[in-house]
Amino acid sequence: MNKDHENKFKTPEGYFESFNERLFARLESEEGEPNTDFLPETDGFSIPKGYLERVYPEVQSKLENGNNKVVSLNRYSTFYYAAAAIAVLFALALGWNWNQSPDLSFEDLASADIETYFEHNAFGLSSYEIAETVNLDDISITDITEKSLQEESILEYLDENVEDLEDLDLNYEELDY
Amino acid sequence: MSTEETLVLELKNKATQARAFEVLVNTYKERLYWHIRRIVMNHDDADDVLQNTFIKIFRSIDGFKGESKLYSWIYRIGTNEALTFLKQKSRKLGVSNEELQETMIENLQSDVYFEGEEIQLKLQKALAKLPEKQKLVFNMKYFQEMKYEEISDVLETSVGGLKASYHLAVKKIESYLTDAD
Repeated sequence: MNKDHENKFKTPEGYFESFNERLFARLESEEGEPNTDFLPETDGFSIPKGYLERVYPEVQSKLENGNNKVVSLNRYSTFYYAAAAIAVLFALALGWNWNQSPDLSFEDLASADIETYFEHNAFGLSSYEIAETVNLDDISITDITEKSLQEESILEYLDENVEDLEDLDLNYEELDY
Repeated sequence: MSTEETLVLELKNKATQARAFEVLVNTYKERLYWHIRRIVMNHDDADDVLQNTFIKIFRSIDGFKGESKLYSWIYRIGTNEALTFLKQKSRKLGVSNEELQETMIENLQSDVYFEGEEIQLKLQKALAKLPEKQKLVFNMKYFQEMKYEEISDVLETSVGGLKASYHLAVKKIESYLTDAD
């Protein structure tokens, strides 16, 4: 940069980092809480009489039933042997077929096929359940920090997946007052 | 040691767990029910999600490290359970989230546990048009009267961002209600 055009202005330390907080604080002090006089005081929802008293016994009963769900495996041992024999036959048959066709790997699947699979075969797992199941031992922090994403990919992702700019925490840009 | 910390310790101790869990359920059931009900709208669905939330809390309490407040952790699990429930429901019905919201509002009109009048119904229609996060913030602030700091702990969003979300939500609802008149 030409030295004559170099920016000589300075800002206090942390000025930009705290800008949003100060802006919202000012908005609040100038506008206060938004006027909600036009809103009804209640939302109209009601609950069956005595419902809240039944919550704990019902949760307790579900927890107890959940713990008793374990069924002895011995009752089904005969079926297991039969199922195991069928599975072995299938595995042998499939193995024989594979030897005659080119090897397929995960990379051979198109991303669209994988996405379609998840779209139509939802596991129904919540984020907590996934977190409990996923083995983190094979994942390193460097998997995230050392892999750079192409800017185009990021923009494409945001374009397709972000419906509302607010999700990006750029709320101050949306304010029109 | 605070009451909350004592309760968490008792929940983690097998000897005191049962009694502590009853205290936890009785302390949070009503607040959590209304929070979930405003997301899923229907009482039976809210009941299912509430029970599943408490079961999940019971089974995951050993994983609670105390990095956030207990109520924030509980609310977060409840919020995730309710949103996941809606996603699963829309997938099962083969409809989009927007279509599901419309169906939920149509069903409200014949719901025996909805005693709202026209203005409450209009409010629900306006809320259904908001982005998920703005709707959550509005319900937590306006109906549950939570402080921004509390909502911030639950939704893990800055207080500034929440204030903007609430302002925007109120403006959009006002505009919807005015246009609908």
